[in-house]
Amino acid sequence: MDEFQEILQDFLVESFELIEQLDQDLVELENTPEDLELLNGIFRVAHTIKGASSFLNFDVLTRLTHHMEDVLNKARHGELLITPDVMDVILESIDLMKALLNTIRDTSADGGIDIAACIVKLDKVAGGNKNAETPAVQEEAPVEKVEEDDIDYDSMGPDELEAEIERLLQERQAEDKAKRQAKIAAGEEVLSLDPEPASSEPASSKPEVVSTPAPASVTPAAAPAKSKSTPSSDTQAAPPAKKATVEQTIRVDVKRLDHLMNLIGELVLAKNRLIKINDDVEERYEGEEFLEELNQVVSIVSLVTTDLQIAVMKTRMLPIGKVFNKFPRMIRDLTRELNKKIELEIFGEDTELDKSIVEEVGDPLVHIIRNSCDHGIEIPSVRAEQGKSETGTIKLKAYNEGNQIVIQIDDDGKGLDAEMLKEKCIQKEMITEKEADNMSDKEAFGLIFKPGFSTAAAVTNVSGRGVGMDVVKTNIEKVNGIIDIDSEFGHGTSIKLKIPLTLAIIQALLVGVQEEHYAIPLASVLETVRISKDEIYTVEGRSVMRLREEVLSLVHIGDIFEVERILDASEHAYVVVLGLGTSKLGLIVDTLVGQEEIVIKSLGEYLKGIKGVAGATIRGDGGVTLIVDVVALMEIAKNVKSTALIDAAVNESSTNEKTKASDYAIMIIDDSSTDRMIMRKALEPIGVTLVEANDGQEALNILKQGNINFDALLIDIEMPRMDGYTLATEIKKYNRYKNLPLIAVTSRTGKSDRMRGVESGMVEYITKPYSSDYLSSVVQRNIKFKSEFL
Amino acid sequence: MNDKLKNIISKQNEQQQEGKIDHSEDIVQLVGFVIGEEEYAIPILAIQEIIKPFPWTRVPQVPKYVVGVFNMRGAVIPLIDLRLKFGLPHKKQDDETRFIVMRHGDDIAGFVIDRLTMAIRIKKTDIGPAPETISGDDTAIDGVGKQEDRIITILKVNKLLKRDF
Repeated sequence: MDEFQEILQDFLVESFELIEQLDQDLVELENTPEDLELLNGIFRVAHTIKGASSFLNFDVLTRLTHHMEDVLNKARHGELLITPDVMDVILESIDLMKALLNTIRDTSADGGIDIAACIVKLDKVAGGNKNAETPAVQEEAPVEKVEEDDIDYDSMGPDELEAEIERLLQERQAEDKAKRQAKIAAGEEVLSLDPEPASSEPASSKPEVVSTPAPASVTPAAAPAKSKSTPSSDTQAAPPAKKATVEQTIRVDVKRLDHLMNLIGELVLAKNRLIKINDDVEERYEGEEFLEELNQVVSIVSLVTTDLQIAVMKTRMLPIGKVFNKFPRMIRDLTRELNKKIELEIFGEDTELDKSIVEEVGDPLVHIIRNSCDHGIEIPSVRAEQGKSETGTIKLKAYNEGNQIVIQIDDDGKGLDAEMLKEKCIQKEMITEKEADNMSDKEAFGLIFKPGFSTAAAVTNVSGRGVGMDVVKTNIEKVNGIIDIDSEFGHGTSIKLKIPLTLAIIQALLVGVQEEHYAIPLASVLETVRISKDEIYTVEGRSVMRLREEVLSLVHIGDIFEVERILDASEHAYVVVLGLGTSKLGLIVDTLVGQEEIVIKSLGEYLKGIKGVAGATIRGDGGVTLIVDVVALMEIAKNVKSTALIDAAVNESSTNEKTKASDYAIMIIDDSSTDRMIMRKALEPIGVTLVEANDGQEALNILKQGNINFDALLIDIEMPRMDGYTLATEIKKYNRYKNLPLIAVTSRTGKSDRMRGVESGMVEYITKPYSSDYLSSVVQRNIKFKSEFL
Repeated sequence: MNDKLKNIISKQNEQQQEGKIDHSEDIVQLVGFVIGEEEYAIPILAIQEIIKPFPWTRVPQVPKYVVGVFNMRGAVIPLIDLRLKFGLPHKKQDDETRFIVMRHGDDIAGFVIDRLTMAIRIKKTDIGPAPETISGDDTAIDGVGKQEDRIITILKVNKLLKRDF
């Protein structure tokens, strides 16, 4: 059973691949009915599927393919001209075939689909044409004849024909013999040549067998047997020839590739970490000899990792042609259905994209192209009136642009009318008039992607049910893509889909807010701007800014991720302009950290579905950074009231009521334990709580923990790790410590030292040595110590 | 030398046999820990590892007791503060604080606990059901273990790992 399943799986994979190619070939065939090569290819597909399905006992499928094969065989032998009507039947049968294959995939059996009607049609085409289409054969025959020789096979009777074939065969055998003899004469071994005549005989005799059911017209195909018998008539011999090239590839389970990709992801993270450690080591051991060696190793590892990552990514890449292939067929069906003349031009079908993305872009493209056919391209008469060529053109292009792939769909139809779009949306109450007035043309074009929007006056089978373009937006946003739409009324529309190359490892912009970092997928970042706070205006409770010609709405990242604002916001802020689909948003952040390659990791089952968070990544320092989900963020931003720049955090610590001496807390920061001891001795008598820290860093950590509300800090200036000045500057960054008295206790007595102290925010400057009374009185003054506690 | 070795081996065998008896079915192995004033325990097999606290990243839009996520050798794992989850006030992490990483099927999370006590072997017969007032499907209490002078609340790992917000 398992073995059967395995064979079945292979059969399905192969069949679907073949059929995909088939669609495109058939449409091409309609344009060039004489292309025998193409016809043979198509025939082979039907034949292969027939063979495999009969082996696997799929009777219905076998019957269908058998009848298709009949029709194609006739066409191949020139008995049947491929007219659009014939093509309709063939395409219909292929659709049935697909349906059957889908059923087989789902149920492992090929029941439930009625093929009788289609078989009748196929038979009609195959049988009925024998007489009706003879002129067509003559039309085609000369093409073949010119290639070979001048004998007019068509005028021969069956017997004459047999005789002619016989004659040709003999002629050929004689030729071979002559060749062989010539070679023997030349001293070559005969043995090595033997297989050739042996194989050439069955090949050239085959046409006789095939010719029996259709004696009249096999000849054009049979005659060239001499030179190209294999491709034209021997279907058995052809597949092996093709396989020789196909075997360059191996089918691999996608899961294995995904696993490989995950491992690479780990490696990239480790690499990031290694680079960071290298930087740290470099700083600490500057000038050491081993550094250079370390540097080399790190750069090699990072280089190879990057290459490896690209290589593995490439294994997951599929040419976008896989998606594009179905469009010629679709356009063809649509033109017949809509009575329009449309030509599809495809460029860049070799452009490669990650498999998971290829799967996502198929649907959006179908909708966009359908839309272009239905609403974009006008009917021929209208086009003629407007002085355009009757045949409309849709261009489908794919190309790489940086880290993205761009899929561009251009049509030369009637274009979009911004005013009309707005009016329509107002009617449907999707936007207000006020919003409409403020809209640029581009924004108005974007309206077609809104759910519930449909511009067609009448709903047709093709589009206009108001679902289509909405799907485009959702799917493209799902892969972090951007939609750019442009249109000139009367001249056509151009839609660009910008899609990241892969989903697992992405480039991200790291931003900081307070002490937290967030990663924003770089694909969604249009630009970053540094603005001063006066440039932010408030309109109806929302922050906006003017960005060149546009008004950009703003939201603070802290409002979205509930970040507590402790640090004092500076005069300036950075705005990350996010673009997604057709919308834009400015995200205010405190700092821009930089660009980094990140690996997307899921937050797991427990934390899934947090709005605004797409996942997490592990940074070079081993910490976890959350990745912003730009789609959700834009959604959230709509409902966030801007508190963006309201000064937060009222200083509460100083208002705390003191009821006893130990409610006062003072931190002593000095690297010398003796000095700390002296200060302690000076302050203990008044009964305040004392906390000691070894250096600036430690002091800052204690402050950050926020367990104790300090009333004053005694700071030594010269300390390891972080000196007093730096500490004071750091502390003053915190809003809640703005008014905290910082008292310098130092042996530095220079004027410039004092100045620096003032600049960094120290209120008092005590020089060593000092008397304990003096220290105590300075401290008491600064903490407003109540004398009753003494 | 040989005798010594024999002695050791026979001793080891004895120990192993003793161990075997202990491994019999009615013994449950638990790891005990303290949150607030209470001692709790979870089955030892549900524990992936016990680690000392290290930095984590806050996650927005979650209840207070979900303190964030942390990196455990490449995996991003949620961190849950059991003090807060059990309605106790927040307490600073200290030297005794530990993260217990628990796993149940594919669900995994780290839990902040005040301190570890010990590995506990307890007879199944010494485990009573949860008090009736708090039993039911919603409770995270699996049962109550009685040992000499103390009572240990045994928790359901699957309930702890279940998202309830």
